Amino acid sequence: MILLRLISWPYVRKHAGRALLTVAGIAIGVAVFVAMRAANDAVFGAFTQTVSRLAGATELQVTAGFSGFDEAVLERVQAMPEVAVASPVIEAVGATGLPGQGNVLILGIDMTGDRSLREYDLESGDAAVLDDPLVFLAQPDSLMITAEFARRNGLRTNDRLPLDTVDGRKEFVVRGVLGASGLSGAFGGNLAIMDIYAAQHVFGRGRRFDRIDLALTPGVALDAGRQALQQALGPGFQVQTPSARGQSFESLLRIYRLMLRFSSLFALVIALFMIYNAFATAVTQRRAEIGILRALGATRGQVGLLFVVESAVAGCLGSAVGVALGYALAGGVARLIGTLLEGIQGVGQGQAEVTPTPWLVGVALALGTLTSVLAAALPAREAARVDPIKALQRGRLQVLGAGENRARTLVAAGLGALGAALFVGTTSLPAFYVGYLCLLLAALLLTPWLSVALVRLLRPALVWLRPTEGMLAADSLIGAPRRTSATVSALMLAIALVVGLAGIGRASHGQITEWAESALNPDFFVTGSPTLTGRDYRLPEAMTGELAKVEGVAIVQRMRQPRVAYRNSLVLLMATDVESVGRTARRTVLEGEAADMYRRVAAGEAAIVSENFAAGFGVHAGDVVELAAPTGMLRLPVAGVVREYSDTQGALIVDLALYRKHWHDDTVDLFRVYVSPGAVPEEVRGRILTRFADQRRLFVLSSHQVRAYVGRMADQWFSVTWVQIAVATLVAVLGIASSLTVTIADRRREFGVLQAIGGLRRQVRAAIWMEAATLAVVCLVLGLVLGALHLYFVLQISYRDYPGLRFDYAYPSLVALAVCPVMLAAAVAAAIGPAESAVRGSLVEALEYE
Amino acid sequence: MIRLDAVVKQFDGKRRVVALNDVSVSITRGEMVSIVGPSGSGKSTLLNLIGCLDRPSSGEVSIDGRRLSGLDDDELTRVRRDTIGFVFQFFNLLPTLTALENVALPLHLRGWSRHRARERATELLGVVGLAQRVHHLPEELSGGERQRVAIARALSVYPPVLLGDEPTGNLDSRTGEDILALLTDLHARLGTTIVIVTHDMRVAQSCGRTIAMRDGQVVGDVRR
Repeated sequence: MILLRLISWPYVRKHAGRALLTVAGIAIGVAVFVAMRAANDAVFGAFTQTVSRLAGATELQVTAGFSGFDEAVLERVQAMPEVAVASPVIEAVGATGLPGQGNVLILGIDMTGDRSLREYDLESGDAAVLDDPLVFLAQPDSLMITAEFARRNGLRTNDRLPLDTVDGRKEFVVRGVLGASGLSGAFGGNLAIMDIYAAQHVFGRGRRFDRIDLALTPGVALDAGRQALQQALGPGFQVQTPSARGQSFESLLRIYRLMLRFSSLFALVIALFMIYNAFATAVTQRRAEIGILRALGATRGQVGLLFVVESAVAGCLGSAVGVALGYALAGGVARLIGTLLEGIQGVGQGQAEVTPTPWLVGVALALGTLTSVLAAALPAREAARVDPIKALQRGRLQVLGAGENRARTLVAAGLGALGAALFVGTTSLPAFYVGYLCLLLAALLLTPWLSVALVRLLRPALVWLRPTEGMLAADSLIGAPRRTSATVSALMLAIALVVGLAGIGRASHGQITEWAESALNPDFFVTGSPTLTGRDYRLPEAMTGELAKVEGVAIVQRMRQPRVAYRNSLVLLMATDVESVGRTARRTVLEGEAADMYRRVAAGEAAIVSENFAAGFGVHAGDVVELAAPTGMLRLPVAGVVREYSDTQGALIVDLALYRKHWHDDTVDLFRVYVSPGAVPEEVRGRILTRFADQRRLFVLSSHQVRAYVGRMADQWFSVTWVQIAVATLVAVLGIASSLTVTIADRRREFGVLQAIGGLRRQVRAAIWMEAATLAVVCLVLGLVLGALHLYFVLQISYRDYPGLRFDYAYPSLVALAVCPVMLAAAVAAAIGPAESAVRGSLVEALEYE
Repeated sequence: MIRLDAVVKQFDGKRRVVALNDVSVSITRGEMVSIVGPSGSGKSTLLNLIGCLDRPSSGEVSIDGRRLSGLDDDELTRVRRDTIGFVFQFFNLLPTLTALENVALPLHLRGWSRHRARERATELLGVVGLAQRVHHLPEELSGGERQRVAIARALSVYPPVLLGDEPTGNLDSRTGEDILALLTDLHARLGTTIVIVTHDMRVAQSCGRTIAMRDGQVVGDVRR
């Protein structure tokens, strides 16, 4: 402790700027970590709370994926002795006609049994609505809304509320306003209650329910009840607790969590390099001081410990600042994730509240401190090994620390060979990751050698540009590779990450656009929802013929696409008129033969699976998939694998007739409409809208609109990627700024000598700038090359691990080009301050600087 | 050649330190002068002012009749690079450059071509007896050899003035004698004005003139 006060504190005071940069490095890393985690926890915590509020006292829920099931299932469930109460539910997102309100989650319930499961606490309205369910039933235009919803929209009991139904917009009457407790808190109050039979009509469900919520007979254990129900209903139904069902829905969002975690860890890794650089410089700079300490009797352990404690203190301080900054940023990140979730769920969750949790604060502080100590461990070891005699000899400093490390090259070669072997020689996922890590480490170990080789290549150009300054810049970098290796490593990683992220963004965007152009090629999509992913408003089968009769319509293809359970996941089942679709919208076939594939699937003999389904579940053409339909297990051979990006969990394409036979569902989510040759699409669109005006809630989306929507969805999906790119670039810029500040400041004497022997200010300044720019070029070249390799691995990861999407390799040249001027400008800008301080300071002090 | 008139140099920190107090000295062309005195007497400060590395708080420094007080930093640098060569106690060679490159560096800074600069540097390394060590890095040379490289660098443009700040201070006595012999030889052969700050009386006595300093003032000026 005394050493800390006598030795470390004066150094920190003298080099306050440098100490601040070190602390800032940790603070940024921890802030990104905390912001991502806190936002993630807040949003998903709010989601879990919503699931719990909606569930009320429900112990188990019966579903058949998202496809719904016949009303008859309710009677079977209610008849079971294990079941005390069973209440049907329709849960759908409804569009209100209220300005600025947008969508609302409609819960269609049967008031007769539902009050045993959920508490309806009326703040205002006629209590008879609750006391006598027949009142609700007798008035199918009844709605109960939450107090928050009522307040926001200035609604009171008996006010009228416009709501879109499958038959067009209708007026509903607010019969009651729910109090703030329980159910009302779900979805930030964006919730309305409706009678189940009215909901069936509003959303075109026919005689079907989405799910059954139930409470077990007292004395029946949860697991026993679940097993009894599962056995009675068969494999086509899922019997789950509300929280388990919430988790399976949450798993749809796994990719976001994965990306957020990746970003936060990445920030810490970059911070690690920044801290390493700062401490490595501090050790070099304080070598004489360490020598004195050693000469005075300090042990190696004491010297090493001094640096470790310093790093721990810096880590603690940086982490504390980072935690505060992280929580300040978390609100913005939570809003971003909330927007993404709203896009998926169709209704906003409301503002997720970010509150500091002792667990996250503790983890962040520990992680920040640990990262700092870890980063300083090597420099501390170096400090402990300082030879007191050499360190006390002034001038000897210049000869220490230079030179190549042969062992480093050998280890890098070994790791490279091991990485390549693991990557090529095995299909095991852990081995793949280890192989990737080995190759990354090999690249990091080779950084000094590669930097020197590159600068040697650049030297003639630099000398040609400015003979003296260029030579000085190049020779300085060639002669001291270790001085800059941490900077180069950190920036190389950051740039590689930018390339990887941008690459996957570009590849996916390109391929998704290509897919959208081939698979989504009808002239119009006629749907009950404003988007293709909205499945809340269903259309009746009868519309098929009516649409076909509209003048100018050539082909009508039906599509029903519910989520169904497959091996504990929820995948997309795309049931359509396969024969017709096979003729008009051919997808890229990756396995199987196109004509045969469409023929077999159209005949109801087989299924087509998407590429990510095949990768995610290890299924290939010729295999058999077992789908749990309400009628029992359905075994379908896989006729082919196609490129299909409709869903991140994977999709199965089957014929609509097959679906109807096994799911007993004759509703339609959307119609794909092709116009006759010669017909004017806009006129046909007008005729369709006129034909169904006042009869249906109808959206006629052009292929252009749909493709634009897909593009927006893809952009939104990758918005996190762009945030990551921004963070990576920012960290890279900060990294180069901090490293240059430290390294230039550390060479004051060298620059003093240059001036003493006749170097003009502008010459010294230019030499420093050129060195900074050369360093940036080295980082860029190595980073862009490593990025090419990293992109390959990222694409492999996305294919092999999650979400199983295969994208073709496409180097993001534009982003790479954009990064170059940014990094060069950052390097030169970062060098301006230190260069000015180097040329304007006292020459005498500079020459005495050690 | 070199003239200091009523020069005062003070450092303003927590306490004001007067390093030179009303110092007037004149050194003529071709002289070899040693400046001696205890630590803190102001001898290095005096050398820094002569070498245009620092500016006086008051008084005037002139070199070759040119007053330095009105010059800006770049002009001062030009005076330094055209007139003065430095030899430091700790050599101050750039560790990443070879002996040849270190010596050629001031020439490059003057805009000499690579070929011409290397030719001159090779010649100078020969003069200081390091013809066989031209491609060695400083870390591959002994202390005496490094100081020879530093002397060669100081002489790169054959400046009329060579300043040495304890040039033998970091060397063993035998190597120190060698360096002193080299400086005396260069003085005799080239007629360079040499000013050396030293603690070593043998070095001081080998110079034609010795200026003694104490507490920032000249307390003795002996010519031999």
